[in-house]
Amino acid sequence: MTALPPPDSVYFDEEWETMPRARLEEEQLALLLDLLPYVYERSPLVRATWDAARVKPGDVRSLDDFREKVPFIDKDAVRRFRDERGDPYGGLLCVEPSELTAIMSTSGTTGDPTLVAERWGGGPPSRPTIVTRDFWGMGLRAGDRVALVLFTFRGPMYGLIQGLGATPVLVDYDPAEIGRLLELSVRYRPTIMYNFGNTLMSATPAAAERAGIDPKDAFSSYLGVVWAGEPLGPRARALAAEWGLPLFEHTSVGDVTASFECTAHDGLHFWEDTAFVEGIEPEATSHADAVVAPDGARCELVATALTNRVAPLIRYRSDDVVRLTREPCACGRTHARMWTVGRKSDEIVVDGRAVMPIDVWGAIETVDACALGLFQIIRPGREVDRLHLRVGYAAADAARVDAVHDEVVASVHAAIGIEPHVELVPDEQLLRLGPPHKIPRVTKR
Amino acid sequence: MTATTPAPPAPLWGVGRYDGPDGPVTWEISHDEVHRDLGAAPATLARLGVTAGGRVLHCSLLSEAGQFFPLVIGTMFAGAQVSQADATRADATRVAMFLRLLEYDAVLGVNGAILDGLDELGVAYADAFASARVVCARPDAIARLSRAGVAACPFVLCGPAVAVASAPDAAAFVHDTEEWELGVDGAGRVTVTNLRPRATEFRAAPTAVRGSVVDGGIVLDLEGSP
Repeated sequence: MTALPPPDSVYFDEEWETMPRARLEEEQLALLLDLLPYVYERSPLVRATWDAARVKPGDVRSLDDFREKVPFIDKDAVRRFRDERGDPYGGLLCVEPSELTAIMSTSGTTGDPTLVAERWGGGPPSRPTIVTRDFWGMGLRAGDRVALVLFTFRGPMYGLIQGLGATPVLVDYDPAEIGRLLELSVRYRPTIMYNFGNTLMSATPAAAERAGIDPKDAFSSYLGVVWAGEPLGPRARALAAEWGLPLFEHTSVGDVTASFECTAHDGLHFWEDTAFVEGIEPEATSHADAVVAPDGARCELVATALTNRVAPLIRYRSDDVVRLTREPCACGRTHARMWTVGRKSDEIVVDGRAVMPIDVWGAIETVDACALGLFQIIRPGREVDRLHLRVGYAAADAARVDAVHDEVVASVHAAIGIEPHVELVPDEQLLRLGPPHKIPRVTKR
Repeated sequence: MTATTPAPPAPLWGVGRYDGPDGPVTWEISHDEVHRDLGAAPATLARLGVTAGGRVLHCSLLSEAGQFFPLVIGTMFAGAQVSQADATRADATRVAMFLRLLEYDAVLGVNGAILDGLDELGVAYADAFASARVVCARPDAIARLSRAGVAACPFVLCGPAVAVASAPDAAAFVHDTEEWELGVDGAGRVTVTNLRPRATEFRAAPTAVRGSVVDGGIVLDLEGSP
């Protein structure tokens, strides 16, 4: 069972969460210097990548050395190693396969999921970090209930909730579960919901009407409602405001860790005693020409796992465009914060104009038949002559697809000044492309 | 440094869901009953031949964690490795990926939604499950798998209880017959009664499972199955 601070403590672990940056970086360097020789000796992908770059662990004596000399890896490199060498772990495994207790996987949003090797238990007790610190900061306390609205592929993460002395109320991430979520929210009055994104929010009004439950009342006990997966559209934000939801954004950090908003709502914290995170200019072709982005500027996120001894990612280019700052937060925590912008590979240039999914999102979901905001940009290449959108519509509007088509075209044109080619498909068809909390927003065909 | 105290255990382990005859039913789960199920589930896995060094893919929904958690942790207790995928159409991609890259002693909880997803992917069931020594499927998937040449052991979420057969065409048994008593109601639905204290009491509670109970095991009625 996790040791808890006093209930009135703002922080779960004040010493580590508010640690001065200089000491935090000393801790990071110590972890890195211990980790790098270990990984180089054991990870075939890291060794091959470092050998090609003519760098050895002994060349790294400072964080600056690490930034300057260590080559990147990315998801394509992992998949390539997996497929070319017949290594299911993509060359990342640093322990004998027989030492693993679990083999999970990434979400698979951008292609085939990749394996995530794990070793549960058995080691010395580690400092609670992700989720534990974040949910405590939102107000979760022993004896509370947490509505977990999730999937299973991350493993039994409800153990983190139970470790805090709280009870998980288990709900599937499925619009068909919203009626049950509303009933359970009334019955158990949970304090945290994790997680509640666009698709579920948009499905709530109809489910609430069917169940005869007022969402504002059902959701009144929540101190934190975590959303993740993809940006919240304007329709979902309006619903959340109407219901008084205390929203907290959450996102992954380069498949290395995850980040959550704190009560200051000024960026998403990731715990730097578990990950070393850098921001580089997205145009970099390798570590040799990579330029560190200024604090607060748009950059590509690069992450290194500091405490993973099973299959750590080292200088992993995430393809995620973010903004990063290491300025202390108003909440008192000193760990860095990030803001998500989008995926680098999602950008499409239409007749010379750059378009990201977020640019058309609001325009699509303001069309009533497309309220779930399900759409894909068809991106056969980075530059195209015409914007091609595949857009989902509600089954109830099947008889008026021609009118819906015209509404979507007009709405997108009004928003970005580009008249798109729109292909309408039933919502169900896009929802099947999951994982359920997000769908691929860009596809080749 | 902040003073700390151990977290007191919550009154409940969790709140889960099972399929009743009229739709989803919510059930509360205590720590004690989960601990008892953790003690009993490894025997079910052993009957399926799961041993140290093996690997088990669990196909479930989060709301079914009360039923699956003892099997997931039981897999670790057996010294085998755990993989997890959602029992949904969309997650058929993940199921196919795991089975393509790794060999499994057992795949538990395959259902019709996963088979629908494999159909969409154009993956033949026999190919998808070729790397699994034992496939344990829910009632809505057994006949479809059989027609494709995959002989699956019945895996039955009988309300809050889990019953698994150790061979195709065999009856499915709960982990511990001193924990649950099975019966059949007048409508041909399997019922459950808890024999030891549980946070939620079940007294001949009807489930969505149709079948008969023979010598304490469930024999599924698959007539009309897809």
